[in-house]
Amino acid sequence: MAKAPEKVDESYNTEARKILASRQRAERQASFEFRALSTFPAVLFVVVLAVLLVRAWPILQQKSLINLLLGDVWRPSEGQFGFLPFIAGSLWVTILAMVFAAPVSILCAIFLSEYARPTTKALIKPLIDILAAIPSVVYGLWGVLVIVPWVQQSVAPTLGRWFPFLPLFNSSNPTGYSILSGALVLAVMVVPFIIAISYEVMRTVPRGYHEASLAVGATRWQTVRYVVFPRVAGGLIAGVVLGTSRAFGETMAVLMVVGNNPIIPHSIFDAAYPLTALIANNYGEMMSIPLYDSALLASALLLLLIVLMFNVLAALALRRATAREQA
Amino acid sequence: MKKQWKKVVLVAVMLSLLLTACGSQSVPQNKISVSGAFALYPLMVRWAEVYQAENPDVLIDISAGGAGKGMSDALAGAVDIGMVSREIASEEVAQGAYGVAVTKDAVFGTISASNPYLEKILSQGLTQEKLAGIYLTGEITTWGQILGDASITDEIHVYTRSDACGAAEMWAKYLGGKKQEELKGIGVNADPGVLEAVIKDPLGIGYNNLNYAFDITTGKPVAGAAVIPLDVNENGQVDADEILQTNTQAVNAVSSGRYPSPPARLLYLVTRDQPTGAVSDFIAWILTDGQQYVTESGYIALTPDQITESLNRLK
Repeated sequence: MAKAPEKVDESYNTEARKILASRQRAERQASFEFRALSTFPAVLFVVVLAVLLVRAWPILQQKSLINLLLGDVWRPSEGQFGFLPFIAGSLWVTILAMVFAAPVSILCAIFLSEYARPTTKALIKPLIDILAAIPSVVYGLWGVLVIVPWVQQSVAPTLGRWFPFLPLFNSSNPTGYSILSGALVLAVMVVPFIIAISYEVMRTVPRGYHEASLAVGATRWQTVRYVVFPRVAGGLIAGVVLGTSRAFGETMAVLMVVGNNPIIPHSIFDAAYPLTALIANNYGEMMSIPLYDSALLASALLLLLIVLMFNVLAALALRRATAREQA
Repeated sequence: MKKQWKKVVLVAVMLSLLLTACGSQSVPQNKISVSGAFALYPLMVRWAEVYQAENPDVLIDISAGGAGKGMSDALAGAVDIGMVSREIASEEVAQGAYGVAVTKDAVFGTISASNPYLEKILSQGLTQEKLAGIYLTGEITTWGQILGDASITDEIHVYTRSDACGAAEMWAKYLGGKKQEELKGIGVNADPGVLEAVIKDPLGIGYNNLNYAFDITTGKPVAGAAVIPLDVNENGQVDADEILQTNTQAVNAVSSGRYPSPPARLLYLVTRDQPTGAVSDFIAWILTDGQQYVTESGYIALTPDQITESLNRLK
């Protein structure tokens, strides 16, 4: 409480205090509202996790975790729930997609942020952003109409002929609905995503660094290689990891071209059955067979945990990168 | 202080908007949502068209996604009516699934019209045993084995449905009393997806519901596809009553019982517990006035006995 030695100022003081009080109230209220709003997503995540865990509980109790994760036979009507073909399918498709997508995206981001003239940038950047906005079912359709026949008629026979000794390129699946088709569609889908992140990361390097480097006679590539790249490497890795988790969770486009066969694949031309496709395809049948719904929700839980792991990795990579930059 | 009030009013308005958005059922309109089997989808669209024209206060919302989805959605209360193109499992009945048969159709084997052995296949037909060899045991892998000609070594490219559906259930049941999960082949999503894959692949084989295999406007198989005739009496050739070149031949074969059942089967509308109100009225209309659209849409009409039985299920 402030002293009020003079009567004249009394009314002014009360007025000021009133204003102050109302501002503080607004401040408290705003901070409460924002806190509540930002807690909501976190609570939502916990709720989703809890629901999945509760619904998956029956099968986790009846079958050992090892039995579920390493079992390779999927016959729900006979009570056999092996997730290994699906985990393997997801990994094959995602990793192959990233092998295609990561180098292309990062090189493209380097070009856009370091080499491209403003007009080129203004032309290419929006086009790439549009790619990111195309619905995944459209990509799937494009995959069925273009990629699958191409893989069936050109890629598979050619690679099989050139490398008959490589099991990676040899398959008994002659249809083109394959891991390669899924990975190609997926790669095209995540490329704009990774480009967007990498591009923003590269632009955080201050202009002055470029200018200093170019001023001492370094070429553009040397500038990129020795000045820009070390500062953004962590950010680029984070972008790729986020892209990986995006690819891992993609459902519709992959499901339409990947062949959906619950076997453990050995070649990029084999059919695979990713976790997401398992849920999307069979969610309909889950009421009719005992434990089926529980098994599907367990696979959803698995998917969530794997994607969570990717995101934690991305966060760690980013943190290390920023820490190094500050040091 | 004034600002505070503004805020309260704003929040109140937003809340009321939110609540009215949720409570739209209070509008005097009967909304019926339907989802499920691809097999029933085209006919349901026709029924809904006519019914909505006759009853302007009814709004029918239809989506296709396979029999399994129809069943799950109906049991979960996500839709009012599920379209189901297979038998209803006892587990599902236990959870409240209430099925009413409304029409009939069948699943047919399909191949590409550009299959190099098209003529031979259409004249010899396939037996149940050979189809089982392709889809269940995997013993038959070449077209030569089907045609009894060892010099033909072209592989058969087998396609099946990836989504849980009645067509696959019926196909597996016909081939050996099995389940969808035991069918071999590359899984493609949805009825039109399998057809597309078969049309594009000269060595492909698949299976489709009646109204996806045949084009309703021409009465012939969809352009680029051919329907495999079943050699039911296994005499090594397709007899006159086994030909399945047009929609009419297929419908006759099914309704006369010459085409086996399964893969011919009843199509059901499933509700959670016995239907009431607008939903019940709609199903009752389907079983009476609605039946006139069954044959024109390329489906097989129920017998009068079956209709009476279905109507009794509504009472």
